[in-house]
Amino acid sequence: MDIISQLQEQVNLMAQLTFNTIGTLQRDAPPNRLSPNYPEPPPHPTEDGANFAEQAKQMSTALVKAAKQFDALVEALPISEGDEEAQVKRIAELQAENDIIGQELQKQLEAAEKELNQVRELFSQASDNCLNLKKPE
Amino acid sequence: MSSASYPPPPPFYRLYKNYSQDPNSAPSPPPPIEGSYICFGATHTTDNVLPSLEEQGVRQLYPKGPNVDYKKELRSLVGELLLHLLELADILIQRPSQFARRVEEISTVFKNMHHLLNSMRPHQARATLIHIMELQIQRRKEAVEDIKRRRGESQKLLNESLAALDGN
Repeated sequence: MDIISQLQEQVNLMAQLTFNTIGTLQRDAPPNRLSPNYPEPPPHPTEDGANFAEQAKQMSTALVKAAKQFDALVEALPISEGDEEAQVKRIAELQAENDIIGQELQKQLEAAEKELNQVRELFSQASDNCLNLKKPE
Repeated sequence: MSSASYPPPPPFYRLYKNYSQDPNSAPSPPPPIEGSYICFGATHTTDNVLPSLEEQGVRQLYPKGPNVDYKKELRSLVGELLLHLLELADILIQRPSQFARRVEEISTVFKNMHHLLNSMRPHQARATLIHIMELQIQRRKEAVEDIKRRRGESQKLLNESLAALDGN
């Protein structure tokens, strides 16, 4: 895939990870201690606790890794500043060169075709003479 | 059960009755449409320019102007994204009811990134065109060399065979 499409895929991936992270944290967060007056809320017996901290760490590492990969892709961009005129100029040059070479090719092709036709005609004459057992003049 | 029959084909075929004898007696194809056209009740446009961010109602975070330094802006956008994420996490802890603005800012950052990437596409198209033209020029040069070489070889062969026949 070309690099701009890869960058776009990476942006989409980061958006997915972002919203997954925030959503998961928001859904699975254990209740927080509101004030020192009230005792610690009872821990929920299902998969919270250690699992939750683990999940949070994994998700954030994934997000940071995706961001780092995006930075690496940005570094690899073969683009330079303000190049539109230079590109258009280069395209015009290439077009001119292409035309010249095209004309040369056309000329060579025509000459080669002419020679081919000449050889064919001579060959047919020679084979006619041979088949009719006539000596060549 | 009755089923509706298909609609008949458009009646233009009668105009082309004598096409094989006289190709000019039939009407020529309609010219390509320019501007906007309506198709199946929806308006489309043939003008393929990328709409700027303001037209889509999104704030533009990177500086406008003729020359944008894509790499620098992309890097700063990624930094802003991570910053906004941390802000969102903080605000969820302290003032959870005010998340909406932060989320909107995060989506603005994403839209800016996509717009910046899309605006790189014309540059990529021109670079691809340059590459293709260079390849074509190289192929044509090789073809010219090839033809020259073959003509030389055939000339040599003919001269040799002429010499061989004359000696006979």
